[in-house]
Amino acid sequence: MVDNFNKEDRFSRISILFSFVVLAVGGLFGIIQLLNRTPYFPKFIDASTYYLVLTGHGVLLAIAWTAFFIMGVGVILVTRETGLGVNSFLLNLSLILSLIGTLMAAAAILSGNATVLYTFYAPLYAHPIFYIGAALLIFGTWIYAVAIFQVYLRWRKLNPGKGAPLATLGVVTTLIIWLEATPILVIDVLKNFIPMSIYKMPVDALEARTLFWYFGHPLVYFWILPAIAFWYYGLPRLLGTKLFSVKMAKVAYILFILVSTPVGLHHQLVDPGASDIAKFIHVIFTYVVASPSLLTAFNVTATLIKAGRERGGKGLFGWIVKLPWDNPIFAAIGFSIILFGMGGISGIINASYVLNYVVHNTIWIVGHFHLTVATAATLTFMGASYLIIPMLFNKNIKSVYLARLQPYLWFIGMFIFSLAYHIGGVFGAPRRTYDVLYGGLIPKEWIYTLGIGAVGGIVFWVSGVIFIIQMLLTLSRGTRLSKQIDIKFTPMDYEVSRPSILDRLGIWIIIAALLIFIGYSIPLYDLYTRGLAPYPPISPFGGKV
Amino acid sequence: MAEGKIFTEKVWIIMIISTLIAFTVILGVLAEAISYTGPSAVCPVKYVELNEKIKPGVKQLSLGVYEVTIIGRQWAWTPNNITLKNPRKIIFKVASEDVLHGFEIAGTNVNVMVIPGYVAVITWTPPKDMEGTYIILCNEYCGIGHQSMYGTLTIVRG
Ligand code: HEM
Ligand SMILES: [Cu+2]
Ligand SMILES: [Cu+2]
Repeated sequence: MVDNFNKEDRFSRISILFSFVVLAVGGLFGIIQLLNRTPYFPKFIDASTYYLVLTGHGVLLAIAWTAFFIMGVGVILVTRETGLGVNSFLLNLSLILSLIGTLMAAAAILSGNATVLYTFYAPLYAHPIFYIGAALLIFGTWIYAVAIFQVYLRWRKLNPGKGAPLATLGVVTTLIIWLEATPILVIDVLKNFIPMSIYKMPVDALEARTLFWYFGHPLVYFWILPAIAFWYYGLPRLLGTKLFSVKMAKVAYILFILVSTPVGLHHQLVDPGASDIAKFIHVIFTYVVASPSLLTAFNVTATLIKAGRERGGKGLFGWIVKLPWDNPIFAAIGFSIILFGMGGISGIINASYVLNYVVHNTIWIVGHFHLTVATAATLTFMGASYLIIPMLFNKNIKSVYLARLQPYLWFIGMFIFSLAYHIGGVFGAPRRTYDVLYGGLIPKEWIYTLGIGAVGGIVFWVSGVIFIIQMLLTLSRGTRLSKQIDIKFTPMDYEVSRPSILDRLGIWIIIAALLIFIGYSIPLYDLYTRGLAPYPPISPFGGKV
Repeated sequence: MAEGKIFTEKVWIIMIISTLIAFTVILGVLAEAISYTGPSAVCPVKYVELNEKIKPGVKQLSLGVYEVTIIGRQWAWTPNNITLKNPRKIIFKVASEDVLHGFEIAGTNVNVMVIPGYVAVITWTPPKDMEGTYIILCNEYCGIGHQSMYGTLTIVRG
């Protein structure tokens, strides 16, 4: 079986190896920031290096690490589950474009020509190479999406009496959301940023920002959905049980398609110039988009309870100890789920606009997304790596003891870090800053919370280092696999029982478009009818360019 | 077994829906109770008209009611150190001359984005017993001097 997909696996190997390199560099940047922004820790870099590193951390980890890992693992899941090959010309083209785009953006950042952070808010100026690189990366992902859609449609055609298999459907859902989100970002880049960067064209900051966040929230589902799909797919296989409810999993996917986009204004709740009504609509949609996460929490927990009981767990909590916590794949997923729960709660708080101005742009937010993208997605991907790296490279994971320890360290460290950062945020400590001392005016709560956060941060960073070292060791010294990975990749019967309305994605995409229209017509109408206010590009190093 | 499962599913779905409805209602009621309004804006303010339309400074409109107009630019607030005596209500008008900034008075509920071309207007009622010195800081990245963009608000009672 494994050797049937040589070309596809080569794509996955390159994509995933590249994502590990990116993770290592981005993680190095993370620890630099962490220490540097801890009060009274001696400064070892200057401010412009700090913001360069922060831009690198955001772009490399939030965009590149996730995108390349997801593309790699997506191909594995889809080929194994459907048994169908992927068009290798499209795959290779997408890989080349995404790699070139990422390297261009990275070169602009590392050479100090794009110190604008990963949100690149206009009218801050970055070198054109940065924006062009970002656009190329997105074009690459579009081609990838086409290749995966082809497989999906072919599978549906070959299996008329069956519903779509769960993991493939998860990957397809992820890509649909990606295609809802990214065209607007590309328009923003082509219309505003590239002319601003090349011709010094003045740009309306609110317009550029609104279009950015149109993309910015669906982006988070691009990170999270593959992780969720991997839970649905991986947990039953790891635990030798059935998913509690396939139908509920599909409902969750569809809810994500429906409402992941008309929620972007929850990032702009304290923006002047965006209408209160539109903000309220986006907040309500945000609550709705929390529901598939809650459905997932239920479905996954119910599956775990079932598995634990089947293994002889008694009583209300007996099932917990029966789960294979010594298996790093399981532990990584289990901890991801727990921390995702915490992140979900803090997300609902972010969206509640009467609370938002307490936490907006504080380190609370840093605490929030290290639980979600940096744990629910990242730690799940690490767990997934323990499964797929042996398969892709035909090698056993080297040093299993470290592998067992790694998810625990991440969990403990992240728990401390995010809790401390959430609390510090409530006291108003700002995010995205080189120095929090403010000439000695710093409140003592910031000193404590940032200090404790640093301890947690060091712990989960060490866990990341262990992960990278293990992967290096596995690739260089891992022994050959003696037997095939004993996981049944193809869908189990109950997973593909007859198709229903839940498999008719076309309908849901049309409704999604309608909801996007409802959510975005008011703010965009306001923006364009009252007239724009373009301001000239400004260098992050000060002054006009 | 199958029936039990469907029952659990249903209970859970009802719980989700009712929680979310409850959240929405609580949010609306809370917002009403504290008469919450999001930041409003004077907009659009063209780049060339900014200095003529926005004059930074502190004005007392009536006893204890202040209008504070502030301009943010890389990397300072003008005015930078503000002292107010017995404020009951403060209307902040905050404009940017160049890039995005974030206007935050640390430890208070004042937190608003400052977007070039869109003058943020917010009204703040400080707690009656609040006094002392608070950091006014910029909480949106605005270039490499971002961390030095801060000032103070001092509230004097008596
Ligand atoms: C490996 C250990 C890591 C450490 C020590 C770390 C630490 C930090 C710190 C301290 C900040 C706040 C910087 C500031 O606001 O001034 C930050 C920001 C951020 N981190 Fe991490 N992080 C790590 C891993 C990750 C991972 C794995 C991801 C995502 C997959 C991630 C995504 C982000 C993002 C998106 C930001 C926001 C950047 C911005 O504000 O522009 N981090 N990180
Ligand atoms: Cu969001
Ligand atoms: Cu700033």
